Amino acid sequence: MLKFLGKRVLQIVVLLFIYVTVVYWLIEAMPGSFVDQYLLNPKLTPEIRENLKRQFGFDKPAHIRYLIYMKNFLTLDLGISFSYFPTRVTTIIAERLPRTVFLFVTSTLVSYVLGYNLGKRAAWKRSGLLDKTTTFVGIVFWTIFLPLLAIFNIWLFGVILKILPLNQFIDPNLWKSAPLSAQTIFIRLLLTALVFLIVFLIALLISNRLKTIPAKKTVLYTSSITTIVVSIVIWILSGYSTYAWDIIKHMVLPVLTLTLYSFAGSMLVMRDTMLDVIREDYITTAKAKGLPDNVVRDKHAARNALLPLVTNFVISLGFTVGGGIITETMFSWPGIGRAYLEALNTQDTPLLIGLLVFTGIFVLIAHLVADVLYAVLDPRIRY
Amino acid sequence: MLLSVRDLRMYYKTKMGYVKAVDGISFDLDQGESLGIVGESGCGKTSISMTILRLLPDNAEFKGGSVLFDMGNGPVDLVNLPESEMRKYRWRGISMIFQAAMNSLNPVYKVGDQIIEAIQNHFPDMPLDKARQKVAELFTLVGLDPSRMDQYPHQYSGGMKQRAVIAMALACDPKIIIADEPTTALDVIVQDRILKEIRKIQRKLNMAMIYISHDIAVIAEVSDKIAVMYAGKFVELADAVTIFKQPMHPYTYGLMHAFPSTVGEKTELVTIPGEPPNLLNPPKGCRFAPRCPKADSVCSEVEPEYRELEKNHFVACHHPVQPKEVVRFYAE
Ligand SMILES: Nc1ncnc2c1ncn2[C@@H]1O[C@H](COP(=O)(O)OP(=O)(O)OP(=O)(O)O)[C@@H](O)[C@H]1O
Ligand code: SF4
Ligand SMILES: [Mg+2]
Repeated sequence: MLKFLGKRVLQIVVLLFIYVTVVYWLIEAMPGSFVDQYLLNPKLTPEIRENLKRQFGFDKPAHIRYLIYMKNFLTLDLGISFSYFPTRVTTIIAERLPRTVFLFVTSTLVSYVLGYNLGKRAAWKRSGLLDKTTTFVGIVFWTIFLPLLAIFNIWLFGVILKILPLNQFIDPNLWKSAPLSAQTIFIRLLLTALVFLIVFLIALLISNRLKTIPAKKTVLYTSSITTIVVSIVIWILSGYSTYAWDIIKHMVLPVLTLTLYSFAGSMLVMRDTMLDVIREDYITTAKAKGLPDNVVRDKHAARNALLPLVTNFVISLGFTVGGGIITETMFSWPGIGRAYLEALNTQDTPLLIGLLVFTGIFVLIAHLVADVLYAVLDPRIRY
Repeated sequence: MLLSVRDLRMYYKTKMGYVKAVDGISFDLDQGESLGIVGESGCGKTSISMTILRLLPDNAEFKGGSVLFDMGNGPVDLVNLPESEMRKYRWRGISMIFQAAMNSLNPVYKVGDQIIEAIQNHFPDMPLDKARQKVAELFTLVGLDPSRMDQYPHQYSGGMKQRAVIAMALACDPKIIIADEPTTALDVIVQDRILKEIRKIQRKLNMAMIYISHDIAVIAEVSDKIAVMYAGKFVELADAVTIFKQPMHPYTYGLMHAFPSTVGEKTELVTIPGEPPNLLNPPKGCRFAPRCPKADSVCSEVEPEYRELEKNHFVACHHPVQPKEVVRFYAE
């Protein structure tokens, strides 16, 4: 296992360097540049022009700039943004990443949990009512054009029902007199979610060791509900709950849209693998042993069908740091996806390269995690 | 009587019509007795056991009959039991070694844990260390090293998996164990050894057994009585010696003579010519008529009744083979 990990990490490092190089030269090859656009301003004197060029590093040829970029990259320095001059690219990413991660991780998580549960039930009672409806609904949402779904949801929940705010990250009027910045509150919300996730995972590990299904359920439910209640109480006592609630309210619509759009993917994968697994002889054996129907379904069938789903899930998690340009634009969500669009529009090459490189790193790491997880879940796989 | 099956019928529904896989099967099984069911591939042997245990696929339709099973407190008809009750009889009352024993173990759980799961399902109060001890005993019984119980199925060889599956079938001290061609995937030497062990264990624990195979030689080795199955029906049932010495159904007769026979200098395998019928629409009268040398017009019109011609000797034939009679399956 260690040897495998070492080999994979080495592979990832090599891949990363190739990837950064490709990204760098692709962006470099794009016509026009931020400086060209900026220097067109006729009011600038030639001296200032030269000065600016030097400051941005455009006085050196491209391959020298590439070498400098690589040298900085080794120290995790992704340069300085042009359009947000003189903010560092890493600072911009650090500010926007939590928002994107929260949004996309939540919806990915929800859609996989939903997909797993619906998929396994649909396959278990094949061509039943649940199977037919979930497959139909799933495929409808899956094939729908995402902006259309977003607009529809905004129209339905924001305009007609008026229960959810239209878009944006926060309600500006509310935050005028706020004691803390939205970012601080947001990070705290994120921490709360993280704590919940950790508690849930620990509960899951503990419940795995328990024997009876009621005992498992009790452990899972009580720990989850306790954590939720305790964190709500803490938030209310802190006096910041209205602000936190505002952020959560603004998240519902994008999360809902993304979940609807993507749950079908995981559901169909789960349903398909489950249908294969159900035909296996060890499922008949499990039934013959006199095990209750839901034990056969969950412990024997779903556990084996889970493998491809988990891999998909981890890799999708890797992609979540990239956010979604369409979703974030539709909901005016100031995350990484929007940063991509801005960087493209303003030809802010350092930011664009930085974002691409950053997303790439995460996807590569996600692949590694998926490999390790696969080995943990499937005893037949040993590296 | 431990198990009493009467006129059991189960058809598979397909686009082309009903596949009459189990079509009026009757037999009795006593404590400690071993019944062998022999028949060509596709005649419905596996379907019988799946119907008894009610482990049928979605397209299977139960068409009637009864399965009276007596665990010591009066016979219960398994056919009418609600699913939750039926579960208590599975494995505890009747357990099974499946045809595809190699794939009967779930790849993601340790072999020992899969056996413990069965034990704790039926004896929820048994503590874990007791259950582990039981598994260790079972492993020793079937000739496996008990230290292997914490290994995964993929770490076992084919023969070891086979033994583990047998150990699992014995886990809840069942009254009846159904062994459905449990050795087909193994090489001949291992096959023979496992066969002998199954028989030894069955005798030692005084369990009843239903042993299913297409190979009459295998059946002969493990059975007290033998049922010969053809196209969804039993055509003959008698004790093993009678079936071998005095077969009365032409099909059984044919099977007995389908051994390698030495005629003069050359050895040849004599088989019954022709193919078994399609179970979608089997022949109207006797289902064996198209292949039977003794068939006449009555045979292809009227279905022969399954009767007790001699004591404990059941035959379904209009013209049973008489002692000393020679039936020729060839146009010579
Ligand atoms: N799910 C099903 N749907 C339709 N037909 C089926 C189904 N399962 C089995 N059959 C058919 O029913 C008949 C009996 O099958 P079964 O598996 O009981 O035979 P078998 O005697 O056990 O054969 P083998 O020796 O090959 O295991 C076969 O003709 C088979 O094609
Ligand atoms: S009933 Fe007729 S066709 Fe059928 S086995 Fe007997 S003799 Fe042959
Ligand atoms: Mg079979």
